[in-house]
Amino acid sequence: MKTVSLLGVASYLPERVVTNDFFAAGAATRKGMFTAPTTRRHVAPGESAADMIEKAATRLLAEQRLRAADDIDILFTNVSVPDQAFTGCGAEVAHRLGARPRWIVDLHNGGCVSFLHMLELARLMMSSSDARGALLCNVQNAAGRVFSHPEVRLESQAPVPGDGCGVGFVAASDAAPILGIVHESHGGFARDMDAAARDGRRYWEPGTSPITIRFTDERVAAIIDRGNRIVPEMVRRVCREAHVRVEDIDLLITNQPNPIFLRNWREALELSRHKHHDTFDRYGNLFGAALPINLEDALREGKLRAGALLALGGFSHAGDYAAAALIRLG
Amino acid sequence: MPAPEERERAGGVPAVDPRGLASITGLVRCEEYDREALGEQITELTHTVYPHHDVYGQIVTVHAHVDCPPARVFDYMADPLSLLEWTYSVRELRPANEPGVLVGVDAGRTPIYVRTVACREALTVDYHCAWDQGDELWMVYLNRIVPAETVLKRPGSVVIWSNLRHPYYDANPFPELSKPGREWVGDWWPFFYAGHTIELANLKAIVEYRYRNDLPPGPMLRAVTP
Repeated sequence: MKTVSLLGVASYLPERVVTNDFFAAGAATRKGMFTAPTTRRHVAPGESAADMIEKAATRLLAEQRLRAADDIDILFTNVSVPDQAFTGCGAEVAHRLGARPRWIVDLHNGGCVSFLHMLELARLMMSSSDARGALLCNVQNAAGRVFSHPEVRLESQAPVPGDGCGVGFVAASDAAPILGIVHESHGGFARDMDAAARDGRRYWEPGTSPITIRFTDERVAAIIDRGNRIVPEMVRRVCREAHVRVEDIDLLITNQPNPIFLRNWREALELSRHKHHDTFDRYGNLFGAALPINLEDALREGKLRAGALLALGGFSHAGDYAAAALIRLG
Repeated sequence: MPAPEERERAGGVPAVDPRGLASITGLVRCEEYDREALGEQITELTHTVYPHHDVYGQIVTVHAHVDCPPARVFDYMADPLSLLEWTYSVRELRPANEPGVLVGVDAGRTPIYVRTVACREALTVDYHCAWDQGDELWMVYLNRIVPAETVLKRPGSVVIWSNLRHPYYDANPFPELSKPGREWVGDWWPFFYAGHTIELANLKAIVEYRYRNDLPPGPMLRAVTP
């Protein structure tokens, strides 16, 4: 397999900062799975996923001195609530950036850890072609699009999600090599999370009750147990396969569903709080955008020096997919 | 408070009189504490891993399924001389001055005193022990034998062994009885989970082997001249 590197990340956060008084009374004092962050961002009503990616990617390309027209051979997108139900926004993004990718892949799986799913696919595609550069784009826009509805925002899970966009540039290079990626699918858990309306209609059927995204109630205990175990297992596995020790990880970045999972994961891996970077209290659950956004945040805070060992990990939805990756920074 | 028969005569099902709990704070009961609030507490309390000290710092409980009927496990455990077989280092047990108390030697020829308190009906066997003296037996090993058929729907027994951290574990109350330079049993508390697990595995292996091979339960002893 070709040596492939994650050269850089950039993020865009929507302007609108939403505080806890927007949600049901008592949201700020809730604990457990539905612990509310202090703030989170919501996308503006007319703001599209393509708008968000354009902002983040334009900055990334400038910072990395890349030319969209020449350097992006593969373009990946993953959007939690797609602009169009029937297709992804990759083609529009390519057009707006002036890129001419040979492959556009609009992923609709991998959820909160789809950044690693895209990273793995980029590595595989580069290994079997002469493609040299890939742009990975994650958009989380469910907070403003779903959880801001006057009825839905009163639900207990509504304060948790927050919107944002994170993008990463991957190149066939040994500047910041990916040491390993592991992932696994658990199809048996795929139906434990759904988008549903109170009146029982499907999302494509007409009706007036709003759509919400939720865990199926009867599976909550199983989902918590699974979430607690699955991420530390994946991080340990990628370390084992790359022949590095868990304690040698300089920084761990995971998806950030809630502070309980974050606490349990770092405890299970025996990593100090300082070695596990998150932005939950500011941005809430960023779904798939958490990995690139938190990575940029950590870099900005100077938490990663040259040569540092970075571990990325997480699980998606109710546990239908989990992945971890190790990167040696340049 | 009416007697149960009286309550029954009055008809209906018994319900809690709220006055009985009104002044007790901190109770978590569904009447005042909804499922969501309970869920918050439960997730806060549930970790993926627990530090050894949090789990075993104050009480060590080990347990094992033993493929042997409960009555037979009870008989074996209720005989204190079985300790000669399944413990790592309790040996040479003989009657001490106090009736019902045996004295033997433990690691490093330390005197160990044991009183066995067994209850056949409850299937409990407790060993009240101490190093160096038999007047205050403060190292108490609580054992409960549970019919596996009842709790696991399988034959055999479950042995649950608990040991609580008596304050004497932290400081030898009778240092004058100790030989100079000897380690104190309580210094080994952090390793009691391992030690008890190993000894319980001995118990399981001995009891199962004899039951499986139709041998007397034991202990198998022979007379020795001191």
